[in-house]
Amino acid sequence: MIPPPSLEIAVLVLGMVILMLEAFAERIDKRILAFATIGALIAVLIGTWFLAPSPAQEQATGFWSFYTADPLSIFFKRFALLTTILVLIMMIDYAPVVLASIPSTKKQTGLGEFFAIPIFTCAGLMYLVSAIDFIFIFVSLELVTISFYVLVSFTRHNPATLEAGVKYLVLSALSTAFLVYGITWIFGVTGQTNLQRITAALANPEIERGPALFGMVLVLVALGFKIAAVPFQIWVPDVYQGAPTPVTAYLSVGSKAAGFVVLLRVLRPFLMLPQMERLIVLIALLTLLYGNLAALPQSNLKRLLAYSSIAHAGYLLIGVACFDGPAVTFYLVAYLLMTLLSFAVLVIVAQQTGEEISDFDGLAKRSPFLAFAMLIAMASLAGVPLTAGFFGKFFIFYAAIAQRQTALVVVGVITVACGFYYYLKVVRAMYWQPAAKVDNISVNVLSRLAMSALIVAIVWLGIYPAPILEALRR
Amino acid sequence: MSPILFWFFALLMLVFGAAVVVNRNPIASALNLVVSFLGLAALFMSLDAFFIGIIQVLVYAGAVMVLFLFIIMLLDLRAERLRKINWVASAGGVAVALALLVQIFYVIGHLTFSKQTFPPLARSEIDDVHNIGLLLFGNYNLPFQIIGVLVLVATIGAVLLSKRERR
Repeated sequence: MIPPPSLEIAVLVLGMVILMLEAFAERIDKRILAFATIGALIAVLIGTWFLAPSPAQEQATGFWSFYTADPLSIFFKRFALLTTILVLIMMIDYAPVVLASIPSTKKQTGLGEFFAIPIFTCAGLMYLVSAIDFIFIFVSLELVTISFYVLVSFTRHNPATLEAGVKYLVLSALSTAFLVYGITWIFGVTGQTNLQRITAALANPEIERGPALFGMVLVLVALGFKIAAVPFQIWVPDVYQGAPTPVTAYLSVGSKAAGFVVLLRVLRPFLMLPQMERLIVLIALLTLLYGNLAALPQSNLKRLLAYSSIAHAGYLLIGVACFDGPAVTFYLVAYLLMTLLSFAVLVIVAQQTGEEISDFDGLAKRSPFLAFAMLIAMASLAGVPLTAGFFGKFFIFYAAIAQRQTALVVVGVITVACGFYYYLKVVRAMYWQPAAKVDNISVNVLSRLAMSALIVAIVWLGIYPAPILEALRR
Repeated sequence: MSPILFWFFALLMLVFGAAVVVNRNPIASALNLVVSFLGLAALFMSLDAFFIGIIQVLVYAGAVMVLFLFIIMLLDLRAERLRKINWVASAGGVAVALALLVQIFYVIGHLTFSKQTFPPLARSEIDDVHNIGLLLFGNYNLPFQIIGVLVLVATIGAVLLSKRERR
């Protein structure tokens, strides 16, 4: 039996070992570091099934008043590890672009750090999903954000990437300021930073509800930035388009999932305040409409996926507004599978032709495998039955109907129809347009394996979603 | 502390803080920021938080600002040329800031404990530094350790992003 905190320690030690190897073993091929990291992270992932139980949250003190290893956090630790592994596989495919963007006389400059920093991000995500104290939430959120600052502007010689890096830095710092200010208000009223004790303090009728609500709204601003909810979404299209593609994938899956876990945890004490639910319903409606409508005219696939990421945040917020944790979690799992699959295809195709949707013309002839993978990803993102995306939306809408959130259901269903248009535009380009370039795109074994696994997982969960639901209920 | 001193230092902070944003010359902005930090340090002192007040002067007004000035001089930054002001955007920004301000005043106005006076804090047996050290290395040890990792990542990132490659 492994004590739960040793998982993150293992990941952190791994990150430092990789950094040391990068610095002192100059001769080795830097891609070996990535393979070693993937192997080690898989070992940690397997380790999550052999965890010792942790003490109950209610009377926890010291270490356990910051950190919890409840089923939700263990599930999302696996989620973070899996995302990091898949992103690293994508990064190996993306390595030529990174090398081309850093002019140097030495071989493979900067590649080692490109593989090492995601390990620290992963540790940050794992801490974040376990955090049950505002101070710890803030610190681990900053670990995630600061490593993303570096990753987003990694290929900084490209002006678009530099712009993305600066935008992300400035707006993210602003959102952090809101988070800290919100936390001070909540601390000022309740005198606590631990979520469990805040719940207890807010249950006291003598407590002042107004300032607590104000603090929570400020915290919501910061988390809205992380999950890309309207009106905190301004940064998303430019940053997603400018950042290196694997980093975009990481940002849209890892950062968003952790944001939603924190949102679910932080909202729990405040649910007794009726204004909170109305606010989240409003944000969900705006996010759904903005994300889906703005995605319609896009011609760049990376930008399209950015708007689609906003749209999916909207569907997830429906689940949050109904406070249905399992539905949100299932949706996030489906979102991980389909988003990472589409970005994995994008990384490979973008190096051959480009990121525009027209660059995917005739992909079915150039590489039937990549085209099929993209077809599954797009079908799942749109929510076609027999894919994981369908059940994700189904559970969310089911929860909304059960809670009688009519407005959310109506707007949700209409925007799903919008989604069909822009996702299937990509499918149309791949299968019905003549190829602009005649070549065969080769895919290396590891990526082919990862993509096949993602395709199988999407279809499997689309037919038989029980295993994930079982894992959540435990 | 007398309320006059509070208002003096608070106004000092606000005025010089605004000057940081308004000034087009980076050195003038940086020096304004120093004065603003000094005002903040004085406010901390007035709340009997001597350690934080001194750290504010030493670290922020001292070390960080010297670093800022060095960077400004090394990069040889000139005064920014005044761009045409986008009035719609500025008005929008002012409106949002005012809305936040009104909201804060509303919330504070409805607080019952903002209207009552409290007895002065009891003197602590041990000094500030000792207290903060006990908290940091005792109860808040875990976040403190994670900050170590955070600083490591920030250092790597800073080196990585500012390194000039030999061609």
